[in-house]
Amino acid sequence: QQVAFGGMQQDTRAPVEVTADSLSVNQADGTAMYSGNVVIAQGDMRLAAPRVLVVYSEQASSIQRLEATGGVTLVSGEEAAEAERADYDIEAGTVVMSGDVLLTQGTSALTAQRMTVNLETGTAEMGGRVKTVLQPSGGE
Amino acid sequence: MARAGGAYSRVIAWLKILLPLAALALLSTLFLLSDSRDTLENVPFADALNQGDVATPGVSAPYYSGMTDDGELLTMTARRARPLAGGDIETDMLEARVHLSDGSTLTLNAQMAQVSDSDNALTLGGGVTIQSSQGYVLQTDAMITRTDRVEGETEGHVTGTGPLGTLDAGRMKIVPANENGAVQMHFTDGVKLVYQPPEKDDTP
Repeated sequence: QQVAFGGMQQDTRAPVEVTADSLSVNQADGTAMYSGNVVIAQGDMRLAAPRVLVVYSEQASSIQRLEATGGVTLVSGEEAAEAERADYDIEAGTVVMSGDVLLTQGTSALTAQRMTVNLETGTAEMGGRVKTVLQPSGGE
Repeated sequence: MARAGGAYSRVIAWLKILLPLAALALLSTLFLLSDSRDTLENVPFADALNQGDVATPGVSAPYYSGMTDDGELLTMTARRARPLAGGDIETDMLEARVHLSDGSTLTLNAQMAQVSDSDNALTLGGGVTIQSSQGYVLQTDAMITRTDRVEGETEGHVTGTGPLGTLDAGRMKIVPANENGAVQMHFTDGVKLVYQPPEKDDTP
């Protein structure tokens, strides 16, 4: 199911800022693991998770993707999404969230097993038992 | 055989007396005419000696190399090393280089360093630059590392560039290779990385 997410286009070439409590870098293969309320920020997209692993692209000159695990919340504009795990592919500009995804948009909430957010177009693709809960507007 | 007479030999006889006398006279005037040269007062001694502090014993361009417990090669060079009381050695412009078993290297440069063999510690101060072959170049002001294994910890804030952008952290620890992994660099007390994704020329 196609859903708008994050409102407007997101510049995926904006600098990505990662803040965390601690970071450990493996000297042999250079993998980096952020831990302790990690926040990945790009533009107005925030991705918060307790652990984030950085996966480098082959020539190790750029980050291919960030794997956030342990309960992830993604906030972009006024939408928020929570899931067990999220893979943020910086080069492709997509965030793949998996594991009982909950997306809240204003008053309505959608749950699914998988959600692929395309930051460039600002759309989200949800799959796997999508359930939508529409909140009637309270009939004032 | 009698002395031959004649003017020539008389002249030679007189010359044999007059010439040495003339030489003597010349010699004696030599010392009278020379100007009074002062003796040893201001011979240019090293001024360090004048202030009374004997030039401290030291080694210039020392070179130290050794093997850590788990087989990593540690080499240290400096501009000058001075022994301190208590067996420590103080050096300036130290460069320590650790060649890790997995092939990568770590290089520490420090303005001022103190090597103490008693507890195998190396205290780096006055601005330390840490370079790792993974592409990290970090600056901090002071750091303590061990010389018997690859371990060290900065005492304060560390900033610098990683392979993927600028990085700064409250503290950085180099943890030796334990059973499950290689040497680790732990950045703690708050870490911030700013990564600039490369401009993709083939924009989709």
